Amino acid sequence: MLATKNIPDHVPDSAVFDFDIYGDERLGDNLHESYESLHADAPDIFYTPRNGGHWMVTRFDHIADITRDPEHFSVREMQIPRVANPPVFIPLSLDPPDNFPYRHALMPFFAPKSVTAMEPKIRQFAVDIIESIIDKGECDFVEDVSSQFPVSVFMELMGMPLEKLRDFRAVADEYFEARTDEDVANLFGKIVGIMTELIELRRAHPEDDLISRMVQFEIEGRPITLGELQSICSILFLGGMDTVTNVSSYLYRHLAGDPKLQARLAADASIVPKFVEEGLRSFGVVNTPRIVQKDCERFGLKFKTDDMVLCMLPLGGRDNRKNEDPNKFDIDRKRIEHITFSSGPHLCLGHHLARMELRILTEEWVKRIPAFRARPGVKAHSRVGTVMALESLPLEWEGQNDR
Amino acid sequence: MIELTFIDADGESQTIQATPGESVMEAAIRNEVPGIEAACGGALACATCHAYVEEPWYSDVPEKTETEADMLEYGSHVDGRSRLTCQIEVTEALRGAVIRTPIEQG
Repeated sequence: MLATKNIPDHVPDSAVFDFDIYGDERLGDNLHESYESLHADAPDIFYTPRNGGHWMVTRFDHIADITRDPEHFSVREMQIPRVANPPVFIPLSLDPPDNFPYRHALMPFFAPKSVTAMEPKIRQFAVDIIESIIDKGECDFVEDVSSQFPVSVFMELMGMPLEKLRDFRAVADEYFEARTDEDVANLFGKIVGIMTELIELRRAHPEDDLISRMVQFEIEGRPITLGELQSICSILFLGGMDTVTNVSSYLYRHLAGDPKLQARLAADASIVPKFVEEGLRSFGVVNTPRIVQKDCERFGLKFKTDDMVLCMLPLGGRDNRKNEDPNKFDIDRKRIEHITFSSGPHLCLGHHLARMELRILTEEWVKRIPAFRARPGVKAHSRVGTVMALESLPLEWEGQNDR
Repeated sequence: MIELTFIDADGESQTIQATPGESVMEAAIRNEVPGIEAACGGALACATCHAYVEEPWYSDVPEKTETEADMLEYGSHVDGRSRLTCQIEVTEALRGAVIRTPIEQG
């Protein structure tokens, strides 16, 4: 039943399509493939009355235009449905030029040179995690690997105590599941609390890590404030948690069912970067919201101030106008086009780090576990919304006990 | 129109017609020049439109801003002719310019 009260007058009937991002019945076991059915079944850009009413943008070029047009499409509010006091994340929820000083202070730490310098440590994390499960002959890839690895890397970068890893993870999971204003505010408060402890710790006892250097940032000639640091740490924390984890979970779910690809990767590590790029194209996990801050006409539609617009980044990579046969996982594509890291002034700051994490994990995994499969009879369940996550992935292989 | 020639790391070259007023990056993307990614679309949020501008053109275009220089400083495969092509406007000064693309963006 369409909740027509959530359809504003400026939205034509032809652009209305009923879709619930928090659990539409169209979404199946193969989440990304089922999502892609929207390209055939729905208008390229449509307005759903669900969750307070919002636009959904499903094509690569339209997503690129919107994410590169901060004058009309603001990042100020990123909750769907809208909440009364949306959290401020620096620099993610600041439009240019306000985001520039922060972004430019952070960029050196995520630039290729800095990321490359972390490679030996990142590789050791991957090796340790894989070594800890290899003899069992089975694991839950999500719980034992993909939620551990990127988070360990991130905690190390930030200088967070690794023994607190599971607590951090639990708070992040709760935050992304929160629906009510109250829950969002409470959980955000918890995250800020954890961060503040770390900031104070590193002010008093600096180490060689990102937080220790962040407390010395200067923003337009003045020292950075505690409030700004809390905000930056919060978004780096959430961004580091739920991105590489989820992409690698979906990617390894695919790989588990493709023994030929497993054999190719095990025989030739030089194809790993292509595997990673095709994985990023096929299994994006973040849908990025915008709020219209200036009325405009785009793509033959009217957008009015305060309309919420959700850019479906994972659908951009599965747009058949950009990639032929988009539901086919094919590392030999001539061009792999995706917008998984978004575009414009908020292009994912961690895109080099994310690529490296996925590459190293795969290099070390196929060396040790060259052949594996998903445990038969287990259904895939995803948590969906603005961030999409695979909840578990039981894998098995010939372990030491079987030899 | 202003003619620009891009040469990739393997020596393959491609000559394109750029329009005065657009950026070198925009011209390259419009013509699908391999080796120029421009992930952020020209918002100075990445360094994936990096290329080397050959002399004499390098000296004939306006100098880098501090921000562009900072971003290049942390990039890979950067040398004295490195620029972010989104920050170079196509003008008469670039007529016939030879621009080399790096072995990889990042």
